Amino acid sequence: MTSETPNNDSDQANNQPLGETPEPAGQGADVQIDPRHNWLKSRINQWRESGLISGEQSEAIIKFEEVPEAPFRLGMRFNRLIVILSTLGAILIGAGIISFVAANWQGLPAIAKLALLIGGQTATYWAAYQIQFVRGFPKVGGALMFTGAAWFGANVFLVAQSYHLATDNPDLMIWWFLGILPLAYLARSKAITVMAVGIAVVGVSWKAAAQTDDAASGLLVMAMLLFVGAAIYSIGANHLRRENLKFYAGPYLVAGALLAIFVTYLFTFDDIFSDFSRGSVTKTWEVSGGYFALGAVVSAISVATLALFGRSAIRAGGSLTKKLAEPATVVLVVIAGWLIVAHPFESSVPYVVEFNLLLLVLIFGTITLGIVNKREALVNVGIIFFVIDLSTRYIELTIDMLDTSLAFIVGGILLLGVGYGMERARRKLLVQFGITEAVNHDS
Amino acid sequence: MTPKVKRLFIAVILVQIVFLLGIVGYRETILALGRTAVLQTVPVDPRDLFKGEHVILRYEITTLGNQIESGSKRYLLRGEINEGDTVYVAISNVDKDDFSLDVRTGGPTDRTDLFIKGRVIARKSGIATVEYGIEQYFVPEGRGLEIEQADDVKVRVKINRSGVAAIEELIVDDEVWQP
Repeated sequence: MTSETPNNDSDQANNQPLGETPEPAGQGADVQIDPRHNWLKSRINQWRESGLISGEQSEAIIKFEEVPEAPFRLGMRFNRLIVILSTLGAILIGAGIISFVAANWQGLPAIAKLALLIGGQTATYWAAYQIQFVRGFPKVGGALMFTGAAWFGANVFLVAQSYHLATDNPDLMIWWFLGILPLAYLARSKAITVMAVGIAVVGVSWKAAAQTDDAASGLLVMAMLLFVGAAIYSIGANHLRRENLKFYAGPYLVAGALLAIFVTYLFTFDDIFSDFSRGSVTKTWEVSGGYFALGAVVSAISVATLALFGRSAIRAGGSLTKKLAEPATVVLVVIAGWLIVAHPFESSVPYVVEFNLLLLVLIFGTITLGIVNKREALVNVGIIFFVIDLSTRYIELTIDMLDTSLAFIVGGILLLGVGYGMERARRKLLVQFGITEAVNHDS
Repeated sequence: MTPKVKRLFIAVILVQIVFLLGIVGYRETILALGRTAVLQTVPVDPRDLFKGEHVILRYEITTLGNQIESGSKRYLLRGEINEGDTVYVAISNVDKDDFSLDVRTGGPTDRTDLFIKGRVIARKSGIATVEYGIEQYFVPEGRGLEIEQADDVKVRVKINRSGVAAIEELIVDDEVWQP
């Protein structure tokens, strides 16, 4: 796996652990080192050791890049505040105009409606471009760009509504997604990437629901979510391999992992099979051609992306296990999804066993990949699902075996132990990521 | 932003606008050039916070079967019709005295004068439930009940040469309904 450099300042800000707002310098007197600076120092040391730069030069670079701690953290806080204020402001303006149009919908001539909707969208993009790229205010401009992308979605639905077209149509979501995805890359916007990925997930699962029979539609939609999760993760992994696309990898990787693990977790319950198939497990539903086609297209995206990924992984070198572990896990998820669609077993037991094993692979795989790629979000996803799964299995095991009060006490002790172990492991991880955390005694 | 990226950025925004104008142009063309038909409905008024107030329109030609008669007309399901199929439903025949109207896949026959295209969403016990893409009518806030409580609701639609229909207006108790 290629190890990554910190993405940018805003990413660093996001990597700040939740619930731990840094104290201004001098107030807590805690050990607090700028993570960006820490990373730079370690790289410069490596450059010096490999003879690329002299000791003098390394010291000069460190001195040049040194930013006083307090202004750096103050800047980080302002960054977040600017993003929050700009996004709220842009959303308020957009919502105001759209609600004005909606409130006066019937009173407005068709051409005025169209002019307001399309004119507003274009003006938002123009303002975003001017502010972000011409005047050089990326946070405010980025927030406006995000609003423009959201406005396009609102316009798709409002135009459909004005011609009395069915708005409960997943195709509208797919069109929205296709319209804003290129924008995410051109405007270098992670927020629009997140929006596009979210819309794609909702659109495809909605389309799958529209293609399925009532009796098993829940199971089939969940299987489709597995395909979507695998495809999104594969796209993210491929982005990580390319220097110019690395910036956008995070939303794909986290969304893909989250989706695949969450759906796999749901499939670990025996009840889910009997609930959705009305008690008789399987053999009770027929899969439509439309669903097959959709599943095949989404799976093909995973396969095609994995093929590209495999090529660059082979070129990158390293052990075979390291090269194949990630693609093999994605393939496992896709196969698991098709097993649900094909439903070859009459009993729910093989499915439950299969998905329990898959869940373990996904949890530990996500944590490992998060550590290797220094992606804290992936580690968090893995750890959260580890705790959820552990708690679930504990409750399943003890619910009939132990007295309720005893089960609670033992469970509480176990959770405290897991929490203690996790906090220690997390600190070690942050050190590996080059982040030295303040020891804050506030809980 | 480099000039190349700037050009691509403008192109993406133009594609978004063209897409929206495309929907508008297509529907306006149907309304301007399509042939008129008046369809009998049975409206229901659902309220949906996300979609705004609208009435669900269920037409006489929503439920079709060889044993079902709609007014003086009789719809005959021709050939094999399955769930998910696109069907062409005759609205009138070339011979106006012929009251048997065809419902078939693949396309209308020569004896069909005017037809509407729909999709079979359910097929059970010899009956096909068909959707035509004109099942929702959006109304101003608080006006849905007027339509729901009316004795007779008809929909004037325009239909293009491919059988695609667009709602032109509602006729409530024999008067054109003003939103």
